[in-house]
Amino acid sequence: MFNLIIRYFGFLKHVPLVPHLYDALLKIQVFFTNRALLNYMDDVTEQVSEWQNITISTHKYGGTQFNLNDVELGHLHGNGLLDVLLNREVKTDLMRNHNILDHHTFKNSGWISFRIKRSDDRNIAIEILERAYMFRQKR
Amino acid sequence: MESQTSKIISGIFISNILAVIIVGIAKFLTPQAGYSDVIIFSVFFIVPFLMGIFNGWQWHDMKMRAVKVIGWCIVSTLLSVVLSAIFLGEGTICLFIVSPVILAMMVAGTFIGREVYRRKNNTLKSSLLGVLALFFVADVVSEHESLEMVSDTLIINAPVEKVWPFVVEYEPITLKENYWLFQAGMPSPVQSTVDGHEAGAGRKCIFSNGYVFDEKMVVYKPNEELTFDIISQPRDPEIMGHIDITRGQFILKDNGDGTTTLIGNSWYKLYVFPSWYFNLWSESITRNVHLRVMDHIKILSEENV
Repeated sequence: MFNLIIRYFGFLKHVPLVPHLYDALLKIQVFFTNRALLNYMDDVTEQVSEWQNITISTHKYGGTQFNLNDVELGHLHGNGLLDVLLNREVKTDLMRNHNILDHHTFKNSGWISFRIKRSDDRNIAIEILERAYMFRQKR
Repeated sequence: MESQTSKIISGIFISNILAVIIVGIAKFLTPQAGYSDVIIFSVFFIVPFLMGIFNGWQWHDMKMRAVKVIGWCIVSTLLSVVLSAIFLGEGTICLFIVSPVILAMMVAGTFIGREVYRRKNNTLKSSLLGVLALFFVADVVSEHESLEMVSDTLIINAPVEKVWPFVVEYEPITLKENYWLFQAGMPSPVQSTVDGHEAGAGRKCIFSNGYVFDEKMVVYKPNEELTFDIISQPRDPEIMGHIDITRGQFILKDNGDGTTTLIGNSWYKLYVFPSWYFNLWSESITRNVHLRVMDHIKILSEENV
């Protein structure tokens, strides 16, 4: 459903507030269908926000954005879909070890997508963001 | 914990009271049209979003989890619905239709407001509120009218001359209600009567709760076309309070094989915005009004073959 909406209505992300409204709808859906997922997302956000020089903001296309020194590391959509920008080396390594996919829109780029579903997925999400954090800090 | 809960509850009350005041001002300033109250886009989108921003401001320094944020937004939405029924006289079904929009905008506003106030960025806060205020004022002073049309077609296994008398007037509908909004209490069409069989004569469409639409037949072509203008309609706190039904029409086509194609058309002006959302509902309701009447005409016509 999410991919279909992004494919056919993705152009609406440029209309102010529409992506934020869509993200709110995703969160409301999760609230009624899988409340624990909202807690997993909060756990990831809280832990990452404690890292040095990390700030949290609202992503321009909806969701929670993680920034290192005001540069985006990745963002977490309201349905638990985490998008992170990595380099190819880190991306290949992570994709070998975890159930990580190419970004849902930007295929064959440095972006990856990982869907948080279960409690264990929190640690994988944090590991992905940590790899992005380390990689960005080195640059 | 207790003081946090009381702060949340008092914040919800304040944001709701502010919203009622803003909506009251918007209703007062918005140019009205026809018989209906115009309810603008901002009332359903900008006001709940601002309520969410207010929540975000109140809650930004509390360590509230998303589950709790959404839970309190649901409480606030329910309160908004109750206050709208009390102060704005809105009907239950109308409020049921708008509540998902109010909740979604409030949740979006709350999460954005929380981040904006946590970042302590005054430029961002004032520009966000400034843009919303500008949009609200522009929406209030703009002209609002949306003319819509719904058309339905039904094949009746009877010749046009058998169908025509029941198109003009018909005895009470006894069919079981099968549309969920009719089952939920929305009035459905029951009977139609005329005071003459010519153009210019009056026609009445009577609904299940006794509501009467007064109509004037403007085209009366036996076995071909009946078009009528609605000259007065009931003011209902439900959806009809925001719609002016302006014209209805039945077109009959002889299929040449003893059957008739019956086309029912309705034109209405919608005064509740955004029309793309509310027209999804009004189109569904109008279609079910058509089908209830047309199914009844089909049964009566086919019985007489």
